[in-house]
Amino acid sequence: MKDYLDRTFDLGPYVPEEDDDLIICRCEEITKGEIRQAVHEGMFTMTEVKRYLRTGMGLCQGQTCGRLVKNIVQNELNKKISAEAENTARAPMRPIPMDVYGKEAE
Amino acid sequence: MIKHYDLIVVGAGPAGLSAAIKAANCGMHVIVFDENQRPGGQLFKQIHKFFGSKEHKAKIRGIRIGEELLAEAEKAGVEVSLNSIVLGLYNLKGVSVMRNNQVEHFRGENVIIATGASENVVPFEGWTTPGVIGAGAAQTMMNLHGVMPGKRILMVGTGNVGLVVSFQLLQAGCEVAAVIDAAPRVGGYGVHAAKVARTGVPFYLSHTVVKAEGGDHVTGVTIAEVDSHFKPIPGTEKHFDVDTVCMAVGLSPMSQLTRMAGCKMIDNGGAVPEKNEYGETSIPGVFVAGDVAGIEEASSAMITGRIAALGAAGRSGFISDAEFTKQYEACVNSLNQLRQGMFCKANKGRTDILTTDEGYPLSMSLLTKGYMTEEELAKFTNLNAHQTGVHPVIECTQNIPCNPCQEACKFGCISVGTNITNLPGVVAESKCTGCGMCVANCPGQAIFLVNEDTGDGFATITLPYEFLPTPQAGEKGTALNRSGAAVCEAEVVSVRTNKSFDHTMLLTIKVPKAYAAEARFYKPEKEGK
Repeated sequence: MKDYLDRTFDLGPYVPEEDDDLIICRCEEITKGEIRQAVHEGMFTMTEVKRYLRTGMGLCQGQTCGRLVKNIVQNELNKKISAEAENTARAPMRPIPMDVYGKEAE
Repeated sequence: MIKHYDLIVVGAGPAGLSAAIKAANCGMHVIVFDENQRPGGQLFKQIHKFFGSKEHKAKIRGIRIGEELLAEAEKAGVEVSLNSIVLGLYNLKGVSVMRNNQVEHFRGENVIIATGASENVVPFEGWTTPGVIGAGAAQTMMNLHGVMPGKRILMVGTGNVGLVVSFQLLQAGCEVAAVIDAAPRVGGYGVHAAKVARTGVPFYLSHTVVKAEGGDHVTGVTIAEVDSHFKPIPGTEKHFDVDTVCMAVGLSPMSQLTRMAGCKMIDNGGAVPEKNEYGETSIPGVFVAGDVAGIEEASSAMITGRIAALGAAGRSGFISDAEFTKQYEACVNSLNQLRQGMFCKANKGRTDILTTDEGYPLSMSLLTKGYMTEEELAKFTNLNAHQTGVHPVIECTQNIPCNPCQEACKFGCISVGTNITNLPGVVAESKCTGCGMCVANCPGQAIFLVNEDTGDGFATITLPYEFLPTPQAGEKGTALNRSGAAVCEAEVVSVRTNKSFDHTMLLTIKVPKAYAAEARFYKPEKEGK
């Protein structure tokens, strides 16, 4: 399996699929087609797709869609390139109000 | 100000609470954080009886195990901080927590991550329509809040979660239209499938959801058979009028905190941290326990929690080497008992297992339709000794880790042996008194007391019954067979309840003796729904 850093790999043409309008990331309302398209536009890793489309950046922080997005990216890469495993986990792990985040306890 | 603890546990579910109790009993100063209002994780949604052996709290309902753990935690002096959201885990085991609308900072000499797992989803047309829910959500609604998730439900997934929740939906008074799975075999225990199938719920294996219909809520669902590539086969569509589609399609570990801390990760049914035999990750002093370390179930989560606590106690000098070794070995032994049999992780997804460890042919009907045929059952000569008078008939035909039946019978009628994944056997020369303890104590509801000939042309069958309204002696209804089909009229002879039955009623029905081997469930004349 090639490394994802190799960008010379030819993915072939983007072929629309019947279920391209299926919502995959519910929080940010990103469809399967948008994710597939993003791969063809050069987004080969979970992090790149996230920055490009905001998948996994909503309320659930990718806990629901992460697995699905990864599968779609991996399939679109024709399973010949290994997609980077996961989004980076960052604090805060759960959404919190800004006024709380800015207020440190004594 | 940073508050220090010997051990910080994240997650107050079965793994986290067990870890905290063990650590506190070793003398550690322990705090447990949980983001929920109530502790116990998923335990308080588990109204069914657990499997395993006595040391795994078998035949006790999950909800009671939760209560026991809480009482133990309190006794051990564990501080359980609820409504406390852990925001991050950093270098040097710093933990930031949001509670009471502010962010607080803690540092643990050791940290045990026991954050559990979240539910997977399968996307299909209409999957975001209100009424498409997870099995965990269904349990929360029914078992915590007393709300029916829907009136008529399609269950997606035949793993233990899908089967157990299907049964709970039936108990709550919902109708389960069907249980489906894309896999060709029922994924969960046969006994769980059988207790759903005998109420009349059809199973569709190798089927997937094509679409959920409805605008602002689900009004129906279409399923179709899948080919070997899991693609729907045109022309095999089936439609059900349902208002809810419930998904039980696996779990993913909630391992973000370990990733954030920089633990080395591996893929084990989702990203999980690499760990040693004590659950310690690549970061010294950061341990994992329960589903976050790899999906299993609550009984093993409790043990992996204890093991992680021992690891932490050993690391920080709270336990002698001798005591550590003794307790660790006991935990491993207990864990290994659960990790055996045809459903253990090593055998997951295998379709080449065709016989039990004892050499009996596995029921293919059970694996594809959820119930056994009489011909298949007859091959299990160990399960029915056909004694005259009342005797136990056991319909437990897969090697699962469970043995309460052996202990339930004080008269030595049932033997499992030392290996808890053995099939139970009826001891032929024993004398059944008809006490019914085996029927009530079997977590799989797979034991019946049968009197094949009462002398007047009838047979009696005593079956476990966990539905309301309580049938009354003398009332008449319908006897159903293992597939849930009506076979004959049945008269309720008696309904026994007892504290030791723990809310499982023993319903004795009378049927013409020709149906003694067939009748396995009772449907009242007028359903109280």
